[in-house]
Amino acid sequence: MKSVWIISAALATMMTLSSALAAPGTVLRDEKLYAQAASTSKVVASVKRGEAVEIVTKQGGWLKVKAGKNEGWIRLLSVRSGTGGVGGAGVGDVVGAATTRSDPTRVVAVAGLRGLSQGLDEEQLKQAQFNAEELARLEANAVKPADARTRASRSGLVASNIAHLPDPKAASRSSSPWEESY
Amino acid sequence: MKLKLMIIAISLTSFSGIAGGFDFGKLIEEQLKRDSTQPAPTQPAPTSQPAPATQPAPQPAKPKFDPFQLGMTLLKDYSVEEEMRIGHQIAGNLLGAAPLVKDNALQQYVNQVGNWVALQSGRTDIPWRFGVLDNEAINAFAAPGGYIFVTKGLYRRLNNEAELAGVLAHEIAHVTNKHHLKVLKKSSLIGALGEAAGRKVEGSDQIVQNLIGNGAEIMARSLDREAEFEADRHGMVFAARAGYDPWGLPNVLQGLATLPNDSRTSLLFKTHPHPADRLASLGDAVGDRFDRVSGKDLADRFYRIR
Repeated sequence: MKSVWIISAALATMMTLSSALAAPGTVLRDEKLYAQAASTSKVVASVKRGEAVEIVTKQGGWLKVKAGKNEGWIRLLSVRSGTGGVGGAGVGDVVGAATTRSDPTRVVAVAGLRGLSQGLDEEQLKQAQFNAEELARLEANAVKPADARTRASRSGLVASNIAHLPDPKAASRSSSPWEESY
Repeated sequence: MKLKLMIIAISLTSFSGIAGGFDFGKLIEEQLKRDSTQPAPTQPAPTSQPAPATQPAPQPAKPKFDPFQLGMTLLKDYSVEEEMRIGHQIAGNLLGAAPLVKDNALQQYVNQVGNWVALQSGRTDIPWRFGVLDNEAINAFAAPGGYIFVTKGLYRRLNNEAELAGVLAHEIAHVTNKHHLKVLKKSSLIGALGEAAGRKVEGSDQIVQNLIGNGAEIMARSLDREAEFEADRHGMVFAARAGYDPWGLPNVLQGLATLPNDSRTSLLFKTHPHPADRLASLGDAVGDRFDRVSGKDLADRFYRIR
């Protein structure tokens, strides 16, 4: 009886340590693996874009990964979880079609999935009728900014001044319709 | 009138394509501003006036199109009031496709979190409203005027309040950057000309409905890829400014990257760049910029639903 206890305790510990992770991932850019979750720590190896890794655990903006015989920490945004390549027009990517550039003026095609869909599809959205009753419920559950401030403060949230991130493509792009002043 | 039609023909060619180097839009706008200061002509509108353009116009001008509506929807920026009317109509229609989860405590909770994040966006001239839609799809929506929705399918996948804040912040950024209004502005001319102005829509605003098309179909349209990347960048910053762990949104994207393309995700994947592209683009912008930024994930305060 006692040994059963010990075994199950050991199993539980193992499961907690590996948690939900130990999942496959793919490196999104040539990167370094660090000894710790900090770019000031020692570089233990480097990995190439497209390389498959095993995600062991995460900590803040870092993932601990196994790449071949190497193990180290890599930036969270330098890896995608799951298989299916580095995205974009990646061959063999099941959702590659999702990345085609859209034309906002294009008339949306009928999806033809109506009735089968578990979720919201184009056709359902197109057929949607204005629902004043639900909109009234939405309004009834709205909160005042002052209340949100109080609640945030009670939760220990402190606002800080953080600058916007630069657009990494801004230099290479002459003009984008999204950046015109409005 | 003749001048107006010609202008419309020119603007159709310039608005429907990728914007060229020369800013036709500005030119037209200025021309029509001058035009609109003149008193309105009293003679009846011509019954049939071919557009005197050398290039073929995609849509011939219908005799009963309303120049006032056209002016409101195309030629000037939307006022806050117009923006809220547009958002009201879209939100009401979206709720017709998917009602709210019947849990007022949940709805108020997302409003608390969402409002706090929205306060960091700098946009305080609109009343922000947040809702969880009773639908298994994995998606989130933003409509102009500050209407933000998350589906139950996506909400259930979230692990903590920082992740919720990140999702809401991405949608908030679509509103603060007026991404949908820009799409409407670009397509409204075609819409105003192509849609008959006489359809009856019960309990709603007819002019706005004509502008946005059928029901909530605008929520099924893709924004430009760059608009999605921008909303990711701004969203991550808004959540971090609110004191949340800045990695909430990236963690949600990591989760989405593992999902198959099925009926729960098809609309999300159709209307957004692949999560791997979004992570890579965000990574290009972030680099080491958040290395010394920390925040709370508030897992214990997160409102969980079944």
